[in-house]
Amino acid sequence: MSKVSAMMGTSAGALKNAQTSLQTVAHNIANKNVEGASRQRVEQMTNPSVGQGNLRIGTGARAAQVTRITNPHIDKQIQREGMTQGFIDSRADGLSRVEQVFNEQNTKGINQYVTDFFNSFRELSNNPESLTSRTMVRETAEAMVTDFHRVHDQLTGIQGDINTQVKAHVEQINQFTKEIASLNEKIQAIEMQGVPANDERDRRDLLLKKLNEKINISVAESKDGLVAITAGQNAILVSGLSSMELKALKLPDQDKYNIFYSNSENTIQTDVTKQMKGGQIGGSLSIRDEVIEGLLDNMNEMAFTLADKVNEAHIEGFDRNGREGSDFFAGVQDTKDAAKNLKVSFDILNDVSKICAGVHPNAPGDNTVANIISGLQYKPIMSQGEATIDDFYSSNVGQVGILAQRAIKSQEAQKNIVAQLDKIRESISGISLDEETTKMIEFQKAYDASARMIKTADEMLDTVLNLKRM
Amino acid sequence: MRVSDKMAFNQVSSSVSKNRTELHDLQNQAATQKKINKPSDDPLSTARLLGIRTEDRTNQQWQKNINTAKSFLEFTDQSLGQLSDGLVRAKELAISQANDASSNSQSREVTASEIEQLYNQAIQVGNRKLGDRYLFGGFQTQNAPFDIQGNYKGDDGDLKIQIQKDAFVAMNIPGDRVFLGRGLGDDGIIRPQAVTPENTQDMIQYKNDEFQRLERNKEQEENSNIEVRGPASSGSGRVRKSRFYQSDSTSDVVGINVLQVLKDLEVALRTDDKDSIQESMDELDQAISQVILARSQVGARVMILNSTLEGLQKAVIDNKQAASQLEDADAFQVVSDINKTDSTLQATLATSGKLIQKSLMDFLR
Repeated sequence: MSKVSAMMGTSAGALKNAQTSLQTVAHNIANKNVEGASRQRVEQMTNPSVGQGNLRIGTGARAAQVTRITNPHIDKQIQREGMTQGFIDSRADGLSRVEQVFNEQNTKGINQYVTDFFNSFRELSNNPESLTSRTMVRETAEAMVTDFHRVHDQLTGIQGDINTQVKAHVEQINQFTKEIASLNEKIQAIEMQGVPANDERDRRDLLLKKLNEKINISVAESKDGLVAITAGQNAILVSGLSSMELKALKLPDQDKYNIFYSNSENTIQTDVTKQMKGGQIGGSLSIRDEVIEGLLDNMNEMAFTLADKVNEAHIEGFDRNGREGSDFFAGVQDTKDAAKNLKVSFDILNDVSKICAGVHPNAPGDNTVANIISGLQYKPIMSQGEATIDDFYSSNVGQVGILAQRAIKSQEAQKNIVAQLDKIRESISGISLDEETTKMIEFQKAYDASARMIKTADEMLDTVLNLKRM
Repeated sequence: MRVSDKMAFNQVSSSVSKNRTELHDLQNQAATQKKINKPSDDPLSTARLLGIRTEDRTNQQWQKNINTAKSFLEFTDQSLGQLSDGLVRAKELAISQANDASSNSQSREVTASEIEQLYNQAIQVGNRKLGDRYLFGGFQTQNAPFDIQGNYKGDDGDLKIQIQKDAFVAMNIPGDRVFLGRGLGDDGIIRPQAVTPENTQDMIQYKNDEFQRLERNKEQEENSNIEVRGPASSGSGRVRKSRFYQSDSTSDVVGINVLQVLKDLEVALRTDDKDSIQESMDELDQAISQVILARSQVGARVMILNSTLEGLQKAVIDNKQAASQLEDADAFQVVSDINKTDSTLQATLATSGKLIQKSLMDFLR
């Protein structure tokens, strides 16, 4: 037999359920703009019914669990693609800065300065007696040398910026891993009671995604909900409830930050820079250690070869006063740092009559040396006699252009992939105001109806209690 | 599909930013009128453009070189023209004074003074300067190549001017050749080789060869008759009198000292020596043809310069065209693309406005 009090109890439960659901709607609306938040739903379950003879009477519903609505596979995929995107983003950023160093579309660059330098020797050859053409040789040589310095400084400047970025990234990574370790602890504690840790998991997923954007990691989740994170091949960043830090340190003889790891305070720091091949750090490092280093090597080779070949011819000549020739360029013995150290020799800077134009002593009109030096522009003196200086340089620029173009294109493509995945995730987990509003009305109505039910039960009780008076 | 709020907003911001980026690029193209503004816009064309620009600048330099050489050669030609005019005049005078019918010792005395003037004029021509450079001194462009006695102070250097990749033209005629006939006949003097060294190794070889050649020439000169370079004190103007008619085996040229010829003629006139006057008529013919030969060489070089210049001018235009095709934006295309992108952006903004504005909340009271 049914009881009025049971009716009241059922409705009170329904009232509570509606309230819980409304609270969750409020939570969803409040978290609408929180990055990584998933919508949550209250799962309601029917209460066990009570047997009364032949009747089984329902006893209402209860809020069984608050769950978040996600698709873990999509989340994993987003994390993976995020790593690729971080890598490509920082490569594209770096390369578009690097290509500006070699951009001669609107400004003068090495190509033009080198041509000017050789043309000044052609002018000298036209008029070896003239101080004007000698001064021009000195000025164009100075301008060319300055531009070699510019290229060197700009390239190392970008390397310096990347250094700062790497250090900042490492600090952020350490913050992330620390937070992930503490989230691990919370999630374990909450889920031990059989309750899903919705908000904590949302946050941890977001941190994993951000960590992936920074660095190449592999993530494994154990049955008790703890994630273990390994960066590169063997740098374990998070394991259980503890986290280990990466460190950005300068090598003793170098000016750049490498990444070090040690799995406890006491053990030796190991250099894991080479393992960092993904994420923003991987992209930045590949620009710093491969692209720019390669370009610097090329510029050094070019500066050294140019200086060496010019000197070789110049030293055979005789200057304007019939004295034996000396070096035209100074500061470079080998390719190491040649672009940085190249300079016009002190003697020539001081006295342009020391420039040698001819091979006959005391022959002011002789221009044989000037002709040889200007002819160097067309001699295959680079890459073991394979390329001229111009070819070498323009293929260098072409390569930078191709790298940058490829990076920008794949950045575009990767952006689309990630955007698509984000869209799918949002479609599943994202919060829609329209939907929440509808739910709000729905649960409010349920709340209203339950309240009305209680009022009805109350009236019924009243009726019963007033029987005697009637 | 379920559309969450964030999806709608993301969609709006990504479409707007995509349209804006595109518009920005196009506006940049319109502002610079170039479709390549950085290497990654078109890496291969960028590399080619660098090559084209280098070539263009070098072509312009070569045009400058050619113009320098041309003015040098043209002035040389003009000067040699004056020299040969003087020689022709000397020949006329010699003819008129060679017999007693039309002349006598008095008229010869007068003519001798005119020949002296012609001699001075020849020296003066030999010391011509273009700018601050003597035309006929070889490499010795800073000092007058001839003194009043007709001694040559210059050398036999060729001022080689590069007119194209690996092509050189000497822009001068050394005075010892055209005035003194040195090394033209069979006098044992070796003239510098015509080839220009191409690289540093060649040059070192050339330097050594030149050193040896000059040493040998010096020796040869010391051994042979002093009169080759000597003043008009004695003897004839022939380079080597004994071999006067033995011409160079390769060209039919005999070297002769033009100044000496004039000097001899003057002496002959003053001394009333009709035989010598007769003799100098032949020598004058030789001298004239020696100058004319030099002039024809100058002419040939100027022709080479002119045709090279023409080719270069054409190359400059071709290069400009090639560069323009690679890097210049098609103005019409850019403007029409801008219009298209702009209207796409407008449409995106208009629909975005509608998309963001309304939610269910707006319809609830």
